[in-house]
Amino acid sequence: MRLEVVKAFRDSTGEMLQQIVGPVDDVAAMAMHPTPLAGREVTTVIAVDGEARGRVTLDMDSATAMRLAGRLLDEPPAMMTPLAESAIAELASMIIGHAISTINDQGRRVRMEPPVIGDGGLACAEVCFETLTFPVQTPFGEVRVNVMIHDLD
Amino acid sequence: MFEMTGGMAPPRAPLTCLIVDDSAFMRFHLKRLMDAFDNVVAREAANGNEAVTEYARFKPDIVLMDIVMPGLGGIETVKQICEHDPAARVIMISSLSYHEKVEEALAAGARCFVAKPVTTEQLRQAIDRAFTAAA
Repeated sequence: MRLEVVKAFRDSTGEMLQQIVGPVDDVAAMAMHPTPLAGREVTTVIAVDGEARGRVTLDMDSATAMRLAGRLLDEPPAMMTPLAESAIAELASMIIGHAISTINDQGRRVRMEPPVIGDGGLACAEVCFETLTFPVQTPFGEVRVNVMIHDLD
Repeated sequence: MFEMTGGMAPPRAPLTCLIVDDSAFMRFHLKRLMDAFDNVVAREAANGNEAVTEYARFKPDIVLMDIVMPGLGGIETVKQICEHDPAARVIMISSLSYHEKVEEALAAGARCFVAKPVTTEQLRQAIDRAFTAAA
């Protein structure tokens, strides 16, 4: 994975979470895993295609998802409703979309698909990519962004 | 051009708006932002095909359009809407805000582009631009 791609995802994660949900810790502790990690209870998957191909996932535990959805909806949901799930999926979409915009402005051609949200099983893939993980501590709990992208050049 | 709730402006026709986004949350959020303006009637479409049908039926003053949607994407949807109504006022709202994508959206017929996450003030400015920008 090229450094500028990794940096775009890391920077976007911090910037977007800061803008959307409030102060977050620095996104400093990246970890590389040889295969995809099992997703946590609420996992959003976004497929990426073009000059870099793979998937990016955003995962968190249920309590964090409920609190984040409450922040986005301005009202804590009593349960994980379809609207609350949609709010979490849109949060992932904004983080990844912002990163993809930066990558494209650097001259590479990368596209994204609409987000799909579900449980941790969504993180399983037939094709194993190494996974770069950024855990971020937000005021609502930990959010983890997992980048599984294969560079095509 | 558009006033926040609480203004003393004389009564006028409602501003009609079509919100197009596959995300239920974004439709909810944009509707909530639009509710901050006086006298707005908003309808929603969850994909490009619905948007083309709703536009023809509703003829809204403005359209708030996402780009990344399953099926007919936002750029192609804008093209179809503007082919039938070159005066359509479409505002693209997307997290995909790289230079080439913005140019593509404007070339398709969008009047202006706002990157997500969008605020009430950004939306107000975009609506003003959509009314003043040449078709």
